[in-house]
Amino acid sequence: MFEMILDSVVRFATEYNEHFSSGLAYLGAGVAVIAGLGPGIGQGFAAGKAAEAVGRQPEAQGKILVTTLVTQAVAETTGLYSLLVALILIGK
Amino acid sequence: MLEFTYSNELSPQVISTLIIVFFLALVFIIAGIKVKKLDPNQTPKGFLLVSIMAVEMFNKLIRSYMKEKQFRFFAPYLFTIITFLAFANTISLFGLTPPLSNIGVAFSFSVMTFLVLKIAEMRFIGIKGKIDGLLGPVKPIAPLMLPINLIGEVSTPFSMGLRLFVNLMAGSVMAAMVYAVLHWTAGIIAGVMLHVIFDIFFGLIQAFVFFMLSVVSISMASDA
Repeated sequence: MFEMILDSVVRFATEYNEHFSSGLAYLGAGVAVIAGLGPGIGQGFAAGKAAEAVGRQPEAQGKILVTTLVTQAVAETTGLYSLLVALILIGK
Repeated sequence: MLEFTYSNELSPQVISTLIIVFFLALVFIIAGIKVKKLDPNQTPKGFLLVSIMAVEMFNKLIRSYMKEKQFRFFAPYLFTIITFLAFANTISLFGLTPPLSNIGVAFSFSVMTFLVLKIAEMRFIGIKGKIDGLLGPVKPIAPLMLPINLIGEVSTPFSMGLRLFVNLMAGSVMAAMVYAVLHWTAGIIAGVMLHVIFDIFFGLIQAFVFFMLSVVSISMASDA
């Protein structure tokens, strides 16, 4: 009798742990993508400053556009890392 | 135990890499032969005009960031990199797998950047200057600065390769998600916009960003 109860408890615990760990992995993936806030703010800031610069100096538009794109792509990197972490966690 | 598994099939990313390499080699060889035959008194036209204009444009761009000596040494490498990446990132328009959605291909770009930076340092500032740069300008805190500088040596190429990989992967994941949700009739309409944004726009921007970061880090590595 006692062994039967113990057996079912152990089975339940292993099943529970399995679901628990995969559930926490999905939760972690969701939390990781919150890092997208940072690049969003940073890119918006860069774009606003670029618009200001074009307004002040319209003849330098080409150079400003190139610089803005490069700096925005660099700022994007942290967000991409968070996306990578999230995808790794989902694939677990 | 050693196993010789050369007969295994290549991954689709490597196959499309080889296709691009073969195609670009053909184009470059043809352009080279045509340029050699070019009459200096005539204006070039067609394919030759386009290639000459592209080379001139990138030469001008690289010259504004580098000195003449470094420019002569590194400009061929940088132009090759940007042509390969521009083709590799837009190859999925032709139904092939983008090569950089494989992390192995992306990290080979990291290794390449690392080696090029080392070559630039060896050639233009020498081993002594490099060690001096690693120890930092203030000698008493050199033991503190050395680990940070050593990590910085590795992290620049690493992040450059990873950036390429994750950008391409994010695009393909996004496209796969949209295609999974939509019926195929709606998928055709959505696919047009998706591929314009993720393949053409982001792909070309990432190629250009990799090129610009290579230019800047090479000129920094050979200047310091």
